[in-house]
Amino acid sequence: MIEEEGKVQQEEVYEYLISPDEYLAAGVHIGTQVKTGDMRKFIYKVRPDGLYVLDIRQLDERIRIVGKLLARYEPSKILVVAARQYGQKPAKMFAKIVGAEYIVGRLVPGTLTNPMIREYREPEIIIVTDPAIDGQAVQEATDVGIPVIALCDSNNSAANVDFIIPTNNKGRKALAIVYWLLAREVLRNRGISEFPYTVEDFEAEL
Amino acid sequence: MDIHRCISCGANLVGTNYVAFPCPTCGEMLYRCKRCRKLANEYRCENCGFIGP
Repeated sequence: MIEEEGKVQQEEVYEYLISPDEYLAAGVHIGTQVKTGDMRKFIYKVRPDGLYVLDIRQLDERIRIVGKLLARYEPSKILVVAARQYGQKPAKMFAKIVGAEYIVGRLVPGTLTNPMIREYREPEIIIVTDPAIDGQAVQEATDVGIPVIALCDSNNSAANVDFIIPTNNKGRKALAIVYWLLAREVLRNRGISEFPYTVEDFEAEL
Repeated sequence: MDIHRCISCGANLVGTNYVAFPCPTCGEMLYRCKRCRKLANEYRCENCGFIGP
């Protein structure tokens, strides 16, 4: 082994939004036993039991970026969609805090495409909790040309998604922490530093 | 009328078969055609180098 003397290794110090331990405690890095090609670049490693582990650094970077992106939109033109049970409360809380609209549970077909129905809305950007479960929302957004931000797990396809947030989108705590961070980042980018909410406020009941 | 081009494949975009959104990092407008979105083709912002989706 050749020793390079006098060479100081400069390791880049990355500052996370919250400590990596908090991310790991919430389980945002836990993927599934299935991997898609679209999600390959977000996978950190495979555990011996076959679970794919997501890269929390990329998640952290992307939460920052989404915060910036959403701050460019008028709050009422953002729509958050969550059909998954554990995603409903975090999505509602996020929407209330940033002033966005939300649809939890079943999305009535035509919500984004049919002006004749009562549920019709005209958002400029949508956030979906799981592009597979919220497929109706993704399809309608595609039909009308609305950009889609999606929380994607290792088994999700990125078809019709414009921005991926790589995270565990099945866990109660994972969804709560991701939406909490998103809400905090959006407010920060709007110039509001006050954020009196805790992650527990975002967690769905068991 | 301005004719936009898909940021991934360079196709001319007409009608409603595309999506437009500001680059998540720099705010430059990005255009993606329906086909590239469906295939989840990568896009790179020409202004800041951001790679998505």
